Amino acid sequence: MSGSRDAEYTEYVAARLSSLRRLAAVLCDDWQRADDLVQAALVKLYVHWGRVRAASHTDAYARAVLVHEFIHERRSTWVKRVRLSGGVTEAPAAAVDHDAVLDVRAAVAALPARQRATLVLRFYCDLNVDQVAEVLGCSPGTVKSQTARALGSVRRALGPALADGPGSQPTARVGHHTGEGAPGHD
Amino acid sequence: MIESQVRALFTAIASSEPDASQVDTQLAHRRGRTRLRWRRAGIAGAPLVAAVAVAAVALAVGAAAPPSGPVSSGPSAPRQFSPLTPYLSFGWLPAGISPVQGGMSKHLVWLTAARKLDAPYDWELSVYTAGTCHLSGSTAKELKCTAPEDNTIRLTGRAPSLRGHRAFWAGTWDTPSLAWQYARNGWAEMALPFYPNNSAKQAAARRDAVKIASQIRYGAATPPLLFPIQLTHLPSRWRVSSVTYVPDAGVLRASSYALGAGPPNLGADGGLVYETGLPYFNVNPPSFYGNPPCYRGERGSKIINGYQVVVTNVIKEQLCAPRARGLIVVISEFGTQPAISVNSLFEHHLRLLGPNPANWTSKPIG
Repeated sequence: MSGSRDAEYTEYVAARLSSLRRLAAVLCDDWQRADDLVQAALVKLYVHWGRVRAASHTDAYARAVLVHEFIHERRSTWVKRVRLSGGVTEAPAAAVDHDAVLDVRAAVAALPARQRATLVLRFYCDLNVDQVAEVLGCSPGTVKSQTARALGSVRRALGPALADGPGSQPTARVGHHTGEGAPGHD
Repeated sequence: MIESQVRALFTAIASSEPDASQVDTQLAHRRGRTRLRWRRAGIAGAPLVAAVAVAAVALAVGAAAPPSGPVSSGPSAPRQFSPLTPYLSFGWLPAGISPVQGGMSKHLVWLTAARKLDAPYDWELSVYTAGTCHLSGSTAKELKCTAPEDNTIRLTGRAPSLRGHRAFWAGTWDTPSLAWQYARNGWAEMALPFYPNNSAKQAAARRDAVKIASQIRYGAATPPLLFPIQLTHLPSRWRVSSVTYVPDAGVLRASSYALGAGPPNLGADGGLVYETGLPYFNVNPPSFYGNPPCYRGERGSKIINGYQVVVTNVIKEQLCAPRARGLIVVISEFGTQPAISVNSLFEHHLRLLGPNPANWTSKPIG
């Protein structure tokens, strides 16, 4: 193995590990799984490092590896366990309207992997439709339809009271987030 | 409005990053290197159709065996490598370089030498069984290896002959290698360190490569592999099917190994070949890992036989025991219906032999 290959790879991973973990966590909404996802993606990144460093945008390549790893993983096993044990597909009860964030989270978690990945690439990575299509290996039209379906599913899962009502901005109630960078109230 | 909620959710998740990362970048690096090696050998990701017997590679530890004679007068290359019998070791390495890891499959054994595990500028030796590789093309510019899948090594020029056998410089611009015939009908290849923009160092590496290759011992007597755990009461058809190992405290310690009972059906990864529903093991001291491989969270944590274990199910069922008699034991299984669950394996089929090599065994299945 070439020394330059190892050195470049090590340097890149050290610099980007945190951002890769965050992206993985947003994809699978679980930091433990996120670390497994990153672990698997890093192995693939090393194997394909020749292509990675030849790519015009190293981060974009790494992001694509991670997203594909996520989609493949969700197809295989753990998505079944999530759905069996998490109850995330249940419709929200009216009594929980004070905790909208949990409903948004559950609704997004219930999405198929590709739809969730599409939302993450659009609304977390802020990629445009063409860029998302490139990452997912599909047409821009498919990205649009996947986005529309995903948002529609979330909207239906939340119900009218939570989907569009005032005060449904969830940011301040999730984890340690304080609202920084979140969109403001309509 | 929904979009803003989704954006906010994603931002919030990303902002809740825990301080401690459980990602083991050294392990990823190591596994990536091993997978790349196996890809080069045409193994990784390919469904294997034949039962995989295990070969053993000896790393040069302890007392060196006397050099073997010229291969031209020796036997033909093995048709298959033996499961747990050391076969191969370095006779000479540059100053500061030592064997750091080895592995095996039915048709290929490999070992790596470097300043330390995961250090750059390493030497990676791959040795193939008889008939696996042959020169190809009208001008013999390729070495084609056919097992378990086609793999072509590009030859770039003649190298000094080794023990009277043909040798060639090979590889790509940033992965130079030396390929040679090590026995009748048997070929070997060794990747060299690559020094971009330093032709003097690269030339020295080529000289060292010839010297290393000319003194490799094939079939020399070496210490057996030792296993820090022993498996008991397993189905009689189960056997160790592939091993990766490291030199440790003067012995060759099996670091990870897979069990097999039939044709492997998951391909190879990290130097091991896998079967659905059968376990594979990683057994190492804590110092082997850059980061603890077990999650510290309580999810899935329980006590079995007095040891804390963490069970997860991400891609594969995995049990991780972070303090199992001074060792970190990880048992993994692919597939939804394992023959014996990881919990049961740890509870009923495992003898922990501790960190002292004097207590380890050369019989991984008792």
